[in-house]
Formats: sequence, C-alpha cells, structure tokens
Amino acid sequence: MEIIISALVVGGISAVLAAVLTVADALVNNYGEVNITVNESKSYKVKGGSTLLSTLAGEKIFIPSACGGKGSCGLCKVKVLSDIGPILPTELPYLSPKEKKDNIRLSCQVKVKGDVSIEIPEELFNIREYLSTVSSIEDVTHDIKELFFDFEEEIRFKAGQYVQLIVPGYGDIKGETMRAYSMSSQPSVKNGVELLVRLVPNGIVTTYVHKMLRVGDKIRILGPFGDFFLRETDSDIIFIAGGSGMAPIRSIVLDMMEKGVERNAYYFFGARSKRDLFYLEEMKEIESKMPNFHFIPALSDPLPEDGWEGEVGLITDVVDRYLAVQGDEASREGYLCGSPGMINACISVLKKHNVPEEKIYYDKFG
Amino acid sequence: MKQTPDFDRIQENMRAGSITGPGFLGDDERNLLDIIREDESKVKELGLTNETIADKLEILMKQGERGFGSPVKVDNRFVVIVEESRGYIPCPFRHGHLSKKVNVNVRNITLKEEIDYSPISIHLIREHGFYQGKGSTYRLDPEMLARMLELI
Amino acid sequence: MGVPLNPFVIMIAAALTSNMVLSNFLGMCSFISVSRDIKTANGLGMAVTFVLTLTSVLNYIVYYYILVPLNLVYLRYIVFIVVIAAFVQFLEMVIDRFSPALYINLGIFLPLITVNCAILGGVLFMIIREYNLIQSLFFGFGSGAGWWLAIVALSAMRMRLREKDLPPQLVGPGITMIIIGIMALAFMGFSGMLPVQ
Repeated sequence: MEIIISALVVGGISAVLAAVLTVADALVNNYGEVNITVNESKSYKVKGGSTLLSTLAGEKIFIPSACGGKGSCGLCKVKVLSDIGPILPTELPYLSPKEKKDNIRLSCQVKVKGDVSIEIPEELFNIREYLSTVSSIEDVTHDIKELFFDFEEEIRFKAGQYVQLIVPGYGDIKGETMRAYSMSSQPSVKNGVELLVRLVPNGIVTTYVHKMLRVGDKIRILGPFGDFFLRETDSDIIFIAGGSGMAPIRSIVLDMMEKGVERNAYYFFGARSKRDLFYLEEMKEIESKMPNFHFIPALSDPLPEDGWEGEVGLITDVVDRYLAVQGDEASREGYLCGSPGMINACISVLKKHNVPEEKIYYDKFG
Repeated sequence: MKQTPDFDRIQENMRAGSITGPGFLGDDERNLLDIIREDESKVKELGLTNETIADKLEILMKQGERGFGSPVKVDNRFVVIVEESRGYIPCPFRHGHLSKKVNVNVRNITLKEEIDYSPISIHLIREHGFYQGKGSTYRLDPEMLARMLELI
Repeated sequence: MGVPLNPFVIMIAAALTSNMVLSNFLGMCSFISVSRDIKTANGLGMAVTFVLTLTSVLNYIVYYYILVPLNLVYLRYIVFIVVIAAFVQFLEMVIDRFSPALYINLGIFLPLITVNCAILGGVLFMIIREYNLIQSLFFGFGSGAGWWLAIVALSAMRMRLREKDLPPQLVGPGITMIIIGIMALAFMGFSGMLPVQ
C-alpha cells in the first residue's frame, strides 16, 4: 500500500508541477499580436515571439541572409527605429560601432516581443519566394552545370541580378542552406530562371546541386537581389567574367540584343584551358546578330592538345592589350563578375585606361 | 579532459554540416581542447610557432592569387593554385570573424607532396592554434607542414 | 515545535555568520565559474536568491502538508529536487522573456541552479532546524542574499585583479581559490555573533 501511495505522491507532485509549467509557458511566452511598421508607411499585424527575420519572412518580406538565420553570415542587418531590447551577445561580433549607434540589428537574433518600427531598403519589397520545379540539368563544362527552374508565378528582374537558392538538409547537414546565383537567362524569360552552378570543393549547396538534384525536384528560390545591371548610357561596355561569372553577363547581353541596344560591347571571357570554355557557339551567334558586340575568350594555360589559336594569357593582360590598341578616348563602362582578387586586378587595368572608378560595376560577392 | 560549455558549443560548430560540409573535425573523437593541446606541443617540439606557420601559408596564398586560378610558381619550390568562390565562412569560434571562400592548393615540386587550405585554416592556426581534427580533409598536421613548407 | 527565533535574526545570520558559500561551502561550482563578470554574477545572485526564497516556502508546504501527514518523509530528497527543478524551469522561462541578454550570458549555469547544492542545502537546513513557515521564508532569503553578496564581492575582486601581474600559474582557478579562502577567513570573524538556530 505504501508503495502505491509514495508512487502516487511523487507522480502527483510532478504532474501538478508539469501542468503549472505548461500554463506558465503559454502565458509567459505568449507575446500576443504585435504591430510591425515598415518604413513608417506599411503596417503588419503579426504573432510575437519569433525572430525579426522569420517574422518578416512570414509576411513575405525577405531580408537577405546567406546562413538561413543561424547567425553566422551577418547579412540580415535591419535598421530598427523603435526599442527592441538590448543588443544580444550573438549580435555583437557582426555590428560595427557605427551600426550599433544607428540602431542596426541582426534580424535573425532579435525577437519581436512588442510593437516594432523598422526601416528597410525599398528594393526588398520586390523580393518574393518562388516555388520552382527543376526542368533541366545540363553539363556545360567539367565543373559547371546549367539548370532551369520553372516557376509557378512570373518573375520580374533586371538582367544581372541574382537569386538565392534554398537547398534542404542532407547527409550530415541539418537544416536548409541558401546560396546566391546570378540569372543567366534574360528578363524576357518570365516563367523561370536559368542558373549556372560551379561545383565548389566541399561546397554545401554546389555538392547538392551536382550530386543530388534531379529534374522534377521542387526547390524554393528567393529573389531577385542585387544592384549589378546595365546602366542606360551610351558608353562603350567592357564585360569581364570567367567561369560561372558568365551568367549575369549572358543575361545582360541577351537583354541588350532583344532591346536593340547598339552600344559597342566587348566581353572578355577568361579561362584556364579549353575544357573551361563554353557557350562559344551561342556567343558567335550573338556576334552575328549584334555587330557591335565582340566576344573575346582568352586561355591562361592552354594545353598543347587544345590546339588553341585565340588569345593567350591572364585575362587582365588580354584586356590591357586590347584597350591599348583601341586607345582611351572613348567613354567606357566596366562590368565585372568574378572573385574579389580578379575584380581588383581588372579595376586597376581599367583605371589605367581612363575608365573612372564610378563607372566600373561589379557583382559583389557574399 | 573536460572542457567548458563554450568549447562544447564551438566544437558543435565544427561538426560536419554546421558551417562547412565536411566540418573541421574529420573523424577525430577527442575534445577540441585536447586536439589543440596536442598540436600545440608538437609545434613547440618542432621549434616553430603558430605565427610562423600561418605566415608561410599566407605568403604562398598571396603569391598564388596573382594567377586567378592559374598555377603560379613560387621560389622555384612551390606551385600554387588559388580559386575563389562567392560567400564567406564564419569562424567556428563565433567571434564574428568572416573568411573568404578560397581554395589554395600548394604543391612542393621536389617532395611532390601537396596540401589544400583556405583563409579560414590560416586564421584558425594563427588565432586559435587549431590545425583541425585528424581525418579532416583540410587537416594541416604541424609536422607535415613543417616538412612540406620547408620551415625546418 | 520550531525554535522561537526572530526571523530577522535568522535572515542576517544566514547571510553573514552562516554564509552558504563561505561558511558552509555550498554552491561552489557556479560561484567560481560565473564570478568572472560582475553583471552576470549579479544576475545569477538574484536568480539564486529568488529560487532559494521561494523553494524554501514551497518545499516547506510540500514537506509539512504532504510528506509528513502521509508518512512519506523518506521521499524528501526526490520531491525537493523535483520542486526545485520545476521552479528553475519556470525561472528560465521568465528570464528568457524579460532579459534575453542575461539568459544567454548565464548559459548553462541557469539550469545548473537546480543542482546547486546551496539550494537543496538551504531546504534541508530548514527541515533539520525545524523552522516554521515565516522563519523558512526569511532563512531562504537570507541564505540567497548571502550567496549573492559573496559572488558579487568575488567577481568585483576578480575584475580588479584582471589587469594586475600575477604569477602565471595562479591565473584563473588558482587565484580565485585563494581569494575565496581569504573571504571565508574574513567571514569567520562573524561567527558566534548571531545564532542561526
């Protein structure tokens, strides 16, 4: 009898406490409905308690993030106009002293517990989430795949912009990962986007795309993002990009062709050897349709068996040679897509040929 | 040896799938603290410091960057290939340091050995004395580095 | 059958003459670990005081109104720990809600309050010394306040020593133990001043 009573008492006390805690949890962690005011004009009634990033995503406002809200990329900064609480230790490493003064917070770490007023760039309102289906996967080189994603809704973007591809967790990788890829399709193609994805050794997303993605898979895509696009002027255009950097340039060039833009344009495509070249036929076709467009591929380490008769050398040297031959009187703009190292080197070469730094545009990484 | 909860959290960040696909620990089952301590004593035995090793790795990387993906010969003893990708990797020690995604491949011409590393590896060695777990594809064993980079 | 001792006397005695951590050496591990930073130490001190005060009362009620009448006194350790654990869980929720910075700073040491021997120790002292409800309340508060005082004092001293030149082998746990020892010696000066039972 005693055993039963003692078991009942301990069980009973535990049960009562558990019940009390459950009620407390519902009360304490219930922040009720709160108002988020954006740019002092739009207002959203939301359920409090989640992070600012996810709460805004719930309202279809997508703050750029590369790590999916894990607090490791530092990209999801938002200017908060009202009091949202003290700066958390997890935000500190990513905020500069000026940002702290300007009330810029890491939206994936701050929780929305009361009414909040924030300020975000207007472009962010254009960003939508698209549910897409993979409709084609093709190899264009030994390490670059070309993929087309069919969208259910139309997408509107400027040639040169990029989207964020969201891949699900796989293997050891728990949770989703997001990475940015520029559109290689032009804006007139509205029912989806074409992306070029280069396999990065040990890359989380590129490995998934190259090894696991299949035609018919459903993938979420966010976008469009970015301020890399063709400026509407009459200047000559110098495009410099290699490898998967071809994507935004192809988008821009096709867009130019469709809109009948007749500016002088030179696309310098740098690669190591013949196996890294692709779209050569397509570029020749564009050249025949746009007499003012010139495609100049250059190899830095051609192999003897390539039988390469085109330009040889580092792309910066090739650009240098060409611009020297042309002379530097024409007004020019530069559009670069590549690694920061390559971009810096190209900027130096362009500046050497009188292209002002404000007229050099590049797709900033990261 | 027991380590503080902070180190436990950092070790979690280093696991496969957390920050990078393969992670920083390989199949090493030891505590992070033990891994660092053992490498620390090895580095001392070799008569080197974390700084000297990190500096050499960094110099080779800077030389290799001039090739933009093409091989660059350095000092007639090494061939370096540097490839960059988009994005950043945060340091697993979570103090806000972000490293660029760069793959550096260094081959010693005479010894015919090669290693792969990235700026985050250099940072981990220089600031944290962390050479990555045994079995990790990017483990830079101090003895191997000393021999391959001709530091001793 | 409690000893008719003035609750205020008990409270001050619990804080000073019979200080939980400096006289009874209870609650050491979070005492040493969290005393690195004054703000966090202050936060933990408050939390421990809060837990000690209220769990003393709660456990008093459970002991004298459930365990004793039902002859289940031998269950006291299990039941006390369950009550303390539930209470600390509640406290975690409240701190996370109202001060997420403190929640993150305390980290693992917030749930560790559950197994902080100072808490269980305080409750058991209350039972052993047969305090009544009011005495238990004041005892719990006093014990907590004494622990709070000790940890804030220790963290203040550790902060001042941070920039000073110490023999390298003593930095960290070494010097901390020495400081605690000296503090305990100082608190011995209070002994005998006020009776705790």
